[in-house]
Amino acid sequence: MSSLRDFSKKKKPEDYYVNLIQELERINGRLHAFNEISHDVDRGFPISVKDNICVDGMEATASSRMLKGYKPPFDATVVQKLKDAGFSVLGKTNMDEFGFGSFGINCISPARNPFDEERVAGGSSSGAAVAASIMKYHLAIAESTGGSISAPACFCGVVGFTPTYGVISRYGLIDYANSLDKIGFIARSSEDISDVFKLSVGKDGFDSTCADFKPLKKEKDRLVIINQLYERLDKGIKASFDRSVRRLSAKGFKIGYEDVNEIGYAVPAYYIVSMAEASTNLAKYTGFKYGEQLTDFSMDYNSFFSASRNVFGEEAKRKIVLGSFIRSASVRSMYYEKALKVRRLIINRLKEILDGSFIISPSMPVLAPKIEEARAFTPVQNYSMDVLTIPPNLCGFPSISLPSDYVGGLPTGMQIIGDHMEDLSILSFGKEWEKDFIYRFKYNIGEI
Amino acid sequence: MEKSEFERLLKICRLDLDKKEKDRLKDDTEEILKYFDQISKVDTHDLRPAFHPIELQGQTRKDKVIRFDKSERLLKNTKTHRFFVLGPKV
Amino acid sequence: MKIGLEVHVALPTRSKLFCSCSTADADQPNTNVCPTCMGLPGSKPYLNGEAVRIAKSVCIALGCVVNGSISFVRKTYFYPDLPKSYQITQIDGAIGRDGKIKLENTEIRIRRVQIEEDPAKLIREDRYSLIDFNRSGTPLVEIVTEPDIKSEKELKEFLYVLWSILYYLGVDIDKEIKTDLNISLGSNRVEVKNVTGIKNLLDAAAYEASRQASLLSRGNEPVKETRRYDERSQRTEPSREKESEEEYGYIYETDLEDYDTSKIKTGDIEADVRKTAKSIASRNGLDYDTIMQLVAFDRHSLSLLNHGLNSTAYDPSTILNVVEAGKRFRSSVNEKSFSLIAEYIKAGVQIDKEIMERIRKGLKPDYKTPDKLKIREFISKELENDPDILKRYRKNPKVIDFIVDTVSRKYGLPQKSVAEEAKKILTGEDD
Repeated sequence: MSSLRDFSKKKKPEDYYVNLIQELERINGRLHAFNEISHDVDRGFPISVKDNICVDGMEATASSRMLKGYKPPFDATVVQKLKDAGFSVLGKTNMDEFGFGSFGINCISPARNPFDEERVAGGSSSGAAVAASIMKYHLAIAESTGGSISAPACFCGVVGFTPTYGVISRYGLIDYANSLDKIGFIARSSEDISDVFKLSVGKDGFDSTCADFKPLKKEKDRLVIINQLYERLDKGIKASFDRSVRRLSAKGFKIGYEDVNEIGYAVPAYYIVSMAEASTNLAKYTGFKYGEQLTDFSMDYNSFFSASRNVFGEEAKRKIVLGSFIRSASVRSMYYEKALKVRRLIINRLKEILDGSFIISPSMPVLAPKIEEARAFTPVQNYSMDVLTIPPNLCGFPSISLPSDYVGGLPTGMQIIGDHMEDLSILSFGKEWEKDFIYRFKYNIGEI
Repeated sequence: MEKSEFERLLKICRLDLDKKEKDRLKDDTEEILKYFDQISKVDTHDLRPAFHPIELQGQTRKDKVIRFDKSERLLKNTKTHRFFVLGPKV
Repeated sequence: MKIGLEVHVALPTRSKLFCSCSTADADQPNTNVCPTCMGLPGSKPYLNGEAVRIAKSVCIALGCVVNGSISFVRKTYFYPDLPKSYQITQIDGAIGRDGKIKLENTEIRIRRVQIEEDPAKLIREDRYSLIDFNRSGTPLVEIVTEPDIKSEKELKEFLYVLWSILYYLGVDIDKEIKTDLNISLGSNRVEVKNVTGIKNLLDAAAYEASRQASLLSRGNEPVKETRRYDERSQRTEPSREKESEEEYGYIYETDLEDYDTSKIKTGDIEADVRKTAKSIASRNGLDYDTIMQLVAFDRHSLSLLNHGLNSTAYDPSTILNVVEAGKRFRSSVNEKSFSLIAEYIKAGVQIDKEIMERIRKGLKPDYKTPDKLKIREFISKELENDPDILKRYRKNPKVIDFIVDTVSRKYGLPQKSVAEEAKKILTGEDD
């Protein structure tokens, strides 16, 4: 059932929005889903916007101290389109600083998992997933570079959809890695996302990489599991995934297994490309013009810049240093250019499979870890957690993460990958799954 | 990575870190680069680099002037002096 | 002596390279700006097709191979005038390569022609800097030569030939040209960065040539270094910042794509413009060379003249002023307003923003002579602003012409009435 239609049909009490905002603020004090909650909403279906996406007049910090106080004088194209369609922006959601993280902990106050508040919400769109998980009627505009929608959607038991690269304009998105960033959605059903997705696509005069959405319609009933990924799964996740696969098989899907020997290289290739691009995107933050601003202009500009750039978080600094190194002239061909070729190799190989099938896997190889556990991971351990979400993101394929099971009270997710422009097909797959799999939620703020 | 090379890199990045942060970042950098080095094993001859994941059209804009109607608000985020943006000394 | 140049020239488009802001001069800093040319987080570039078209004509004119597919890179470096801390420019995917310019006795090879964005304008102050983003994002081409220039004479000749080639494409290098000069008399390359204007470029080259020659004559090899040219002292001096290739860390600009240039029509631009100019000249009894100078292959000015010059005959200086106004207020001067602008100019009115506003509304100049008191008030105000004028007048009565001119231009008044009143005030006749 589409909650969009349900919401518009329902008669709401006069103080509906006031109460919604009040209740949300109360719970947000514990869960840290929102960086800012608007008090101006009195109509429309409530949506939230990840804090790296611009909303005219609201702060856009990307959860970075570097951008504190930055109020863009423009709406992101996607925000503009949804505002025009009658949606209301309820607030800006928390995230890993600039999108750099898989657990939502690289920021000042990490969002907490509604299913177990000691655990992470997943990242980087942590607040977006929590928002969708705690509100009865909600749609979160989120963004993914390497899995930032699937990971938190999986951990918070909601649907996360990442479209084909370039079908939704990136105008108004604070860049992480321009050839990888995709604006997408997190909500409680594939149907809601499908409705909003159709409103959000289309060419845009402000983002030249944004292409017309020309849906590819192919009947597919075959689901492929990649052996090399399946082998890497945590025991509990494997068992849970097997149960989901059996359900799908009972629904009539054919299950296939294929080898993709190169798939393991997707993670390093992704991190090389994304860090190279990120390090240039982060160069613009130099302590004047917007956000973090120093006032002692009499310092020499180099010292001024360095002094201001100290407020970057640890992962941001790591990406600046590594990204700058791997694009330097002496090693560029070894890392940056090589990674782009590996990307081509993986796109070509996965396209062969996607020609007649969808690719299916769990969304994350583990259950949501405790915040303290996640903090103890080394960077390489951290990056390896993205092994399942990176292949579609590196290749610009659309993917959807659906809640698929509950293990020890925590949700697990499965991820379905389609070919470029098969966005609507995988959303339909989600609707099919939701026909007889009931999602569970801990909160229902705004229930009517 | 040599210490001097790392110091030079930090300078290029305009990052001025204390010793503790520097040491940790240097260790991380070395560990991550080792992890990255595995891609050298992949055979990629004949392959063009994929700058984007999909083929794009190469759209250009018409040469038409459109004023940004909220230009005065652009300066709200900055410190200004006689309509100039104030910046550090060069 | 070996000299190589990297010459940066602005392309005559109406809007900027990656956003729709106007490239026209503005009265105030930071008015022709938007999120993109200020580099605000969330903004994106969108390539101006006209800039590519003009750049393609430049390449053809310089005998370059035009690349069928072009792309852009990010050149990352830190400076307060660079909004994103990277400049969008070209290298491997540059629009042109392998061209040449013929001089009388030799040939200068062009290595590359690339499209790039201009940084903002920066004014140095003692305790801070002032930045104006109006210039940020202006489309430029950078023309990179091989180090084939062998004397100061050849340098002069090269610049003259380059100037005349580009002039007919509407690219006026005499106005604003920024050059990086590589010059070596010995075995080490010395680079003089960011020399503005042609005169400074020649002076900088002359200074370097004699500096290096004098070092060599004493048996010292000039060191490989980057220097800057100081206009005031007319000398070059070692630059404080040392930049190496490594620091730029070029990567592909993925906010943009590969662009197909093969279908862009440049036509025989030179022939087209000559034809139109001839027709304008014959229709209006004007000198062909004057027309060519006025339009300088600037399509907007050309079309302005072509369509605006039909009915009335204008003297060349009026036409010149209309075209100038057309260049300044590019977006709002059209063929319809041509005659109106000419009328204001004939009336001795300076074309500024307010006058343009009147013209946009279709209002004619206000010929009604204001009463004498009002005129006297204006003149007195002018005299108060500049008390020295009276002293100068006593020494030289011709100064009155200057006052009359200033006042009548400023307030759009007929010169005759202003002259009458001014004379009375200055000679003290009316006391």
